[in-house]
Amino acid sequence: MDRISIAGTERTPEVDFDFPQGRLKLGGESYPEDAAAFFGPLQQALAAFLENRERGPLTFEIALTYFNSSSAKALMNMFMLLDDAAAGGAAVTVRWLHAADDDTIQEAGEDFAADFEHARFELVEQP
Amino acid sequence: MSPQDFISFHNASRQSGVIMSFSGDVSEKVLFSLGEVLRFRMTQGATDASIAKRVFSVFVEQAQNIIRYSADRVAGGSPDGSGVSAGMIVVGMEEGRFFVACGNEVPQAQVEPLRARLSRIAGMNQDELKAYYREKIRQPAEEGSLGGSIGLIEIARRASAPVEFDFRDLGAHRSFFCLKAYI
Repeated sequence: MDRISIAGTERTPEVDFDFPQGRLKLGGESYPEDAAAFFGPLQQALAAFLENRERGPLTFEIALTYFNSSSAKALMNMFMLLDDAAAGGAAVTVRWLHAADDDTIQEAGEDFAADFEHARFELVEQP
Repeated sequence: MSPQDFISFHNASRQSGVIMSFSGDVSEKVLFSLGEVLRFRMTQGATDASIAKRVFSVFVEQAQNIIRYSADRVAGGSPDGSGVSAGMIVVGMEEGRFFVACGNEVPQAQVEPLRARLSRIAGMNQDELKAYYREKIRQPAEEGSLGGSIGLIEIARRASAPVEFDFRDLGAHRSFFCLKAYI
């Protein structure tokens, strides 16, 4: 699985899914014109990677400053794939970054944290 | 309307606390530009950052609902393929609280399902909304839904009071729907 790098725009997040290294990152603002068109290929790539991957830790770091409800749905779909992979024995860590004064993003992270049963979820406060 | 009528219209809006109002065809680009000036105005006005985020979030969900679900659509949409639909979006302040209101035409057949859904959401407290949101976000999108099916719940969660809504029959199997949320 090749690395997927997409530069961020004013309304779509920067994407760096470094599959060979097991490091996935998403950051910035997310309210795409068409969330399904933006996130669909990423979800498919992640699902294919998790299906075929060799053993090795996987880290998914999310540093979003705003995301709309369609993006939240897409994130949840990816998180469910990751939690399923963790249930199957993969070492998955999800890191949710938020600014110290950003209650909205912190609360969203706390909500998502409750949905993970197998993957490790870290809420990381940024100075 | 005469120029004097337009001045009265403008003054009436201002006196009602309206900060921004738009009525007409809404596209994703319109949403982006209005959102940009809304954020800028809130930054300049030293609005509390958490409140500003909530207002922006409710604005985006409401504008995207118009684009996706208004029954009054421009055939073919915009050149880039995304939808263009008529509606209304108003942001303002009443008694120190921001509000975001939106309106658009809906097919008559959708009035009762939408009313039932919003009544349910409006009757929920924050804990119930959170539980309902978590339940819905894990489910596949509902039929006819283009987004996450959770936009209305998101609006209610960001609001500081139960969302207000109403309908007016336009005839020809259409109604005008309006939703107002205080932040």
